[in-house]
Amino acid sequence: MSADVLAFWFLAIVLVGSALAVVLTKNLFHAVLWLALALTGTAGVFLLLDAEFLAAVQLLLYAGGIVTIVVFAIVVTERLVGERLSQTSRRIGGGAVVAGGVLALLLNAMRGQPFPAARPEMAGDLTRLIGETVLTRFVLPFELLAVLMLAALMGAIYFARPDE
Amino acid sequence: MGLQAYLTLAAVVFCIGLFGVMTRRNTIGILLGIELMLNSVNINLVAFARYSGDVTGMVFTLFTICITVAEAAVGLALVILLFRVRRTVTADHLDLLKG
Amino acid sequence: MMAGDGTLALAALLLHATAFLVLAIAAPLRRLGRPAAYVSILCAAGSLAAAVLSWRAHTGEAISRLVWTWLPSEGQTLATVGVLADADSTVMLTLVALVALLVQVYSLGYLSDERAPSLGRYYAYQSLFAFSMMGLVLAPNFVQLFICWELVGLCSYLLIGFWYERPAAARAALKAFWITKTGDVGLLIGIVLIWRHTGTFDLTEMRVLAGNGAIPLAGLSVMTFCIYLGAVGKSAQFPLHIWLPDAMEGPTPVSALIHAATMVTAGVYLLHRTDWLFALTPDVLAIVVWVGAFTALLSAVLACVQNDIKRVLAYSTISQLSYMMAAIGAGFSGAGFLHLLTHGVFKALLFLGAGAIIHAVHSNDLPDMGRLARRMPQTAIVFTVGALSLAGLPLFAGFLSKEEILGAVLAGGFAAPFAMLVLVAFLTAFYMFRVVFLAFFAAPPAGHAGAAAASGAPHVADASHHASHGAAAHEPHEPPSSMLLPLWVLALLSVATGVFFTVVHPEPEFESPAWLMPVGVGSAVAGILLAWATYQRRAIDAASLAAAFGPIYRGALARFWIDAVFERAYRLALLGFSRLVGWIDRYLVDGVLNVLSAWTVQAGDDLRTMQTGRVQDYVYGIAVGLLVLLLWVQFN
Repeated sequence: MSADVLAFWFLAIVLVGSALAVVLTKNLFHAVLWLALALTGTAGVFLLLDAEFLAAVQLLLYAGGIVTIVVFAIVVTERLVGERLSQTSRRIGGGAVVAGGVLALLLNAMRGQPFPAARPEMAGDLTRLIGETVLTRFVLPFELLAVLMLAALMGAIYFARPDE
Repeated sequence: MGLQAYLTLAAVVFCIGLFGVMTRRNTIGILLGIELMLNSVNINLVAFARYSGDVTGMVFTLFTICITVAEAAVGLALVILLFRVRRTVTADHLDLLKG
Repeated sequence: MMAGDGTLALAALLLHATAFLVLAIAAPLRRLGRPAAYVSILCAAGSLAAAVLSWRAHTGEAISRLVWTWLPSEGQTLATVGVLADADSTVMLTLVALVALLVQVYSLGYLSDERAPSLGRYYAYQSLFAFSMMGLVLAPNFVQLFICWELVGLCSYLLIGFWYERPAAARAALKAFWITKTGDVGLLIGIVLIWRHTGTFDLTEMRVLAGNGAIPLAGLSVMTFCIYLGAVGKSAQFPLHIWLPDAMEGPTPVSALIHAATMVTAGVYLLHRTDWLFALTPDVLAIVVWVGAFTALLSAVLACVQNDIKRVLAYSTISQLSYMMAAIGAGFSGAGFLHLLTHGVFKALLFLGAGAIIHAVHSNDLPDMGRLARRMPQTAIVFTVGALSLAGLPLFAGFLSKEEILGAVLAGGFAAPFAMLVLVAFLTAFYMFRVVFLAFFAAPPAGHAGAAAASGAPHVADASHHASHGAAAHEPHEPPSSMLLPLWVLALLSVATGVFFTVVHPEPEFESPAWLMPVGVGSAVAGILLAWATYQRRAIDAASLAAAFGPIYRGALARFWIDAVFERAYRLALLGFSRLVGWIDRYLVDGVLNVLSAWTVQAGDDLRTMQTGRVQDYVYGIAVGLLVLLLWVQFN
């Protein structure tokens, strides 16, 4: 069993376990922390796939950014409501059946498909390739993305601003 | 490890996220489920890109991450607004569209 | 001038069309009233001149066709439009032009109190009426004939309802229109059937085919009967005669026009025009005779009990038209056509004379008249001439033609209709001289002081119309010269034709026994004497005379309940149909819609509970949809 396989299984267990914890744990704050772990696990998976740059972005934006925002939201709303937010679930049985069914069918669809087992050699550094592609072929979507981020920022501020 | 292993992992995470979206009572919990689902999509994109030797998938992942962050920011702002107006955090209570 | 090629006949036709178009388009001219009338009269005079010239050019066998192709169809012409001028059509054309002109001149005096715009409208209708009738008379084929036939019906509707503000006039116009329309449906069906049968609309071509025996006889009876139905409606044969008496609601000159030259004569003319076709179907001709004789008798009886002078004349018209029909049915359409011409002259005379009386007395009712001969000697003379012509005395217009009809029916082998017609001749003389004596010579009955301007509320069309302007009671007087002139022209024509035919006495185309003339004249004289004894000398009490014919008298007063039956049937059919339609609309059409809408509402009410408004239920739906989609993709 090579190091790659070992690392994959480790990350898979961490990822699946933390994901389950996110959707099952009673405490919302804990769920957020579990989400942070899951996102970090995802960053690990990216590393396994030779995408170091994406792993870094994942860590910075998600594990850093989103988790911070969520925690902030929880804190603000708890203060507004004045009670602890408990995290209960509804229709667990039905949700499990439907989600399990979807999973089973997805796996069934993948079974027997001729997926490549080996990775081709990438031409040079992947980070450099991503950078070049973003700034040449996808430069227009990239700029639009900047506009989108700005709009989202302003919208979020507008929504969440205190009453006058 | 082949491509199928990554795809399977992504499928599992996706379905767990779906389960969360369907079962969580708290709107913030629903948003967490959505984040999980988006993450599994990202895994898929990167895996396909790596195994086909085409960097485009990874660029798309970059975009997806950015849009996800924007969505999360707006979504959470909406949640805060909702709390302020309706004084509730439970999705079941938000049924103005009831027929 | 090439008079023989039909150009003159066409000119006569188009002059009236011109007058109508000018009056129809130039609205300011029409609203001026009298100038519009002068335009129309001028055109009518030109038309009469052209018609007379055309008549003179088409004596004997001379025939001219002037047609333009119309309605092209698959390389050949389906129908033509134009004129077919021969001896019959041009003499008819002359009659129409003459009566139209005289009526238009007469109307100048009769309608002198009409408001200017409606006078212009009147003359526009008059011109259109004359044009339509001429187009019918000169029609070279069935299509043009039918179109003009319908135009004539339309014009009669417009003119009968000329005083459309009065409900009775509007109703009478509608009645005339609908009842003649009933017959017209038959005519249309007949024309189309004939066309399918022979392949042509053209009268000349069809006549050649009939002469060669090239028209198959199978089914022809149905077609000629359908054509006869059109004539039944237009020429007021039983049972469709009921519209004609009501048509008296129009102005009296219009009645003269309708009765003498246009409208009602169209049916007789149609049958005369196609007598070679009817000759192929003797069974239909027998129906024509019997219906004609019966209608003649029925309407003669009805005429005896009418108090309204115009209604007496209306029933006499029906009676005389039936005479013509009987002759045509007997197979001698020439006799019927001759009577049509002479009748046109003296019936116009009688109606215009009656109009003069109404103009003077302001009433239609005979009891309101009496001893008018002193105050209106000229009117009395011309009206008596007309009555003598209608009675069929020698030296007067109706003499020869009536005798020829009697001879024709007898020669055709119809003994019973012949007897009925002789009885009708007696009755005709009786009721006409009842009118003459009551109106002109006898003293008015007690309580009616001569002129009826004092007689409270006159209820009849022309009377009320005229009473509206001259409320002050005044002595009856002779009408103005514009009305007297046409009367004298017609009276002189009646006498002239009468003298001409009495002296010349052309041999008819059939053998008639020597006793025929004495019988005809004798019955007429007997009728006149009875009327004289009853209404002038009062040797016979009119009331006891009526009592002697008790049931018939009462039945005649109620018009033999025919109108009532029609009205009842009409109401029954119409109301029944309306109820049926209403039921279908309410319970079938609406019912289906109501059920559908109720189902929709119910379904929506049930389905809305699916919309919980909770986000996660929709996510559930999406997820289940994804599941089903995956299942379908993988296991299908």
